Amino acid sequence: MVIRIKYSKTEEGRFLSHLDLMRTMERAFRRAGLPLAFSEGFNPHPKVSFASALAVGVTSEGEYLDVELQEEISIEEIKERLGEALPSGLVVLGIKEVRERKKSLTALINIARYNIRVPLEDSVKDEEIFEAIEQLRQASEIYVTRSGKRGTRQVDIKQGIFRIEGKIADSNLELRADLQTGSEGNVKPAEVLAALDRQGRIFSGKQPRIHRVGLFIIERGEVMTPMEC
Amino acid sequence: MESIEHILENEILPKVTKPLRYVGNEHNSIKKNWEEVKLRFLFAFPDLYEVGMSHLGLRILYHLVNEKSEYLMERVFAPWTDLEAILRQENIPLFSLESWRPLTDFDCIGFTLQYEMSYTNILNMLELGKIPLKTGGRDETYPLIIAGGPCAGNPEPLAEFIDVFVIGEGEEVILEMLDVIARHHEVFGKNREKNKLLETLASLEGLYVPSFHQTTHKDKRIVKRVVKDLDESYFPLKPIVPYMEIVHDRIMLELFRGCTRGCRFCQAGMIYRPVRERSGDVLREQARQLVKNTGYNEISLTSLSTSDYSGIAELTKSLLDVYEKQKIGLSLPSLRVDSFSVDLAQQVQRVRKTGLTFAPEAGTQRLRDVINKNVTEENLLEVAEAAFCAGWTHIKLYFMIGLPTETMEDIEGIAELAYKVLRRGIEINREKKRGKQPRITVSVSSFVPKAHTPFQWEAQDPMELLMEKQQYLKKRLKDKRISYNYHEAKLSFLEAVFARGGRELSDVLLAAWKEGCEFDSWTEHFRFDKWLKAFAKAGVDPMKIANKPGDIDTVLPWEHIDYGVSKRYLWEEREKAYGMKTTSDCRYEKCWDCGVCSGLDVKLSIKNEKGGRECGNQN
Ligand code: SF4
Repeated sequence: MVIRIKYSKTEEGRFLSHLDLMRTMERAFRRAGLPLAFSEGFNPHPKVSFASALAVGVTSEGEYLDVELQEEISIEEIKERLGEALPSGLVVLGIKEVRERKKSLTALINIARYNIRVPLEDSVKDEEIFEAIEQLRQASEIYVTRSGKRGTRQVDIKQGIFRIEGKIADSNLELRADLQTGSEGNVKPAEVLAALDRQGRIFSGKQPRIHRVGLFIIERGEVMTPMEC
Repeated sequence: MESIEHILENEILPKVTKPLRYVGNEHNSIKKNWEEVKLRFLFAFPDLYEVGMSHLGLRILYHLVNEKSEYLMERVFAPWTDLEAILRQENIPLFSLESWRPLTDFDCIGFTLQYEMSYTNILNMLELGKIPLKTGGRDETYPLIIAGGPCAGNPEPLAEFIDVFVIGEGEEVILEMLDVIARHHEVFGKNREKNKLLETLASLEGLYVPSFHQTTHKDKRIVKRVVKDLDESYFPLKPIVPYMEIVHDRIMLELFRGCTRGCRFCQAGMIYRPVRERSGDVLREQARQLVKNTGYNEISLTSLSTSDYSGIAELTKSLLDVYEKQKIGLSLPSLRVDSFSVDLAQQVQRVRKTGLTFAPEAGTQRLRDVINKNVTEENLLEVAEAAFCAGWTHIKLYFMIGLPTETMEDIEGIAELAYKVLRRGIEINREKKRGKQPRITVSVSSFVPKAHTPFQWEAQDPMELLMEKQQYLKKRLKDKRISYNYHEAKLSFLEAVFARGGRELSDVLLAAWKEGCEFDSWTEHFRFDKWLKAFAKAGVDPMKIANKPGDIDTVLPWEHIDYGVSKRYLWEEREKAYGMKTTSDCRYEKCWDCGVCSGLDVKLSIKNEKGGRECGNQN
């Protein structure tokens, strides 16, 4: 059977990399006595697929994972056993059976929603901050530098910023942003922050707190979660 | 004011490489309430998290102590230089993984001494913990600093920094030691009468308090502690499962302790005597629980020489029967040079993805007899043939250079042996019509004379000679199918100095650390020039320590430390080495009366033969 799991990455688990997460999940399933299905071949891999990698340091309350099990087990039981087996950094929020899977999770999702809190430079004026946000909204293109295997390249992220709103609270800027994710393209919160910062004039340089609220699917104007489709 | 914890988590850790090294909270880690325990012990590993967490001793002691409701044990590792720089800049003391408390909050801190080149990290960690380095500078308000592990075999270079050394197997003595400390606190109050406490500790078997021993050789001997029966001894069945990848990221099933093959350069083979096996049924049950409690997909059958376990074939078969279906693999980290070992490896490794490793150690039969490595050229070629036939294409060979009596002929022998193995591989591949070329890796380390071995009196080759031998091999092994690597001779030289030197090295260590030496075993941090400066400053000639031979009358700095193997036996073995006479394994033939069994009231214990067997043909 194939199951879809919604889980959160808590404060304690925020420093796990994607590889750490995969290892931790595989071990948790084994501890829970939930037999994973494996790929064929010389070097079998468990059949597990994640919706979207989460950057190190980012917390989340809406991560998803599809897993194929060798046996039919009731959802209630899976929930209970996996919940006990997971370390404190990862918490199961919901599980459902996926009967018909047309697309992979990564191909399904297209929006990641974030709450971001960034410490502000002391001298910066509120107007300047709002102006920076407004400019980001109005811009026709926003280029950021990405480094990959074949060196660095310039990428326009403007079309991947679906929504951005900000308010100021005790010398922090609190942002809500819907950014593109999934197999069509990915915009990272850090890239948006870099674009907003105006060469370091706005943010203090202290670490931002980034929290992913969830991953969503927008299809013909309708927003759904991976649990709803 | 933000709390230190808050600053660390939100400002500092996001900036460093691999923050998971410092946050704890792993599955099966234990966080106790500080108010509910009598003593707080900090296990300190003077290297990175991924190195330290791979260490079986840490797993054993951590869970053993934490299973006692009245004590707690937390962990700390050496911070990598990026975090260290921030801690210093922000004036934040080094902290434990579990409760993020500074070192000074603990009652005792126990360092493990796995290799000499981690010593500067010990000083660095103490200082980052705001603890005075020398025992004399620490009054009773500071934690008691303890150290143990194989390098405690020669504790003297650290004698001025460590309050108490543990000699032998830690799990035998740690609870006894904690009971004594807890009782002392009850009677005298916390942080009182440190000297009285040290006196009581010194009276326990296996504990060495260096400040009470000024002229070491005349003093009372400190005899090692030893586990008598591995089936009865403690083994953690719910070990910590790290989030991040560590060096040995798998279940470690400990098959046996000790090794009596008797290689004359090998310290482990002398200080962990006698061989004590764990029985097959106990191991199978431990494996079952470990799989259930960790979720690991690999079980490593560990010991000093795994194919020597008396029930190895049966054990691997029975484990494979259960775990293969669950996609849990087995690994055999240390294999003997014989075709039986290849059969074993073939059984457990369905996919020949990693190479097979063998250690002939020396290039000629003459020198192999000197070091008592009972392996012949035929053995090695047979094994290579078996391995190539079974489908391996990569064979790794370990050698040591600078061994006593070695000549250039022996060095040439290494090259010849490598080429013979290679040719055998080419022939077999041709016969089997495989297109693939065989690959041979030749890894060469340098001999380091170690305390408590038959070669403890031997001089190390001068560095220049070691380098010459390394270069000779480099020229001889120029073949694209052979990769050749060797250890930095300067590092081996320093290892020899610290393995053989005495208390005068405390000042050298201090000076080197002040020069900025740390993580010396990491090539990118090793600074030999700084070490040389440190020797000069302390007025110690390192060559006199590493490169000068001793004889039976030489007073060795570790004369008072007793691992049960008698000095007489070690010297006899040394004499036999020079006479090219070998000594058989006491497991299979006769007991050579090395002194351990009678002296420590312990027995060789072989568990998997009918009725079991206790002591060779001892009479
Ligand atoms: S006393 Fe004899 S049986 Fe025991 S370890 Fe030594 S040589 Fe082996």
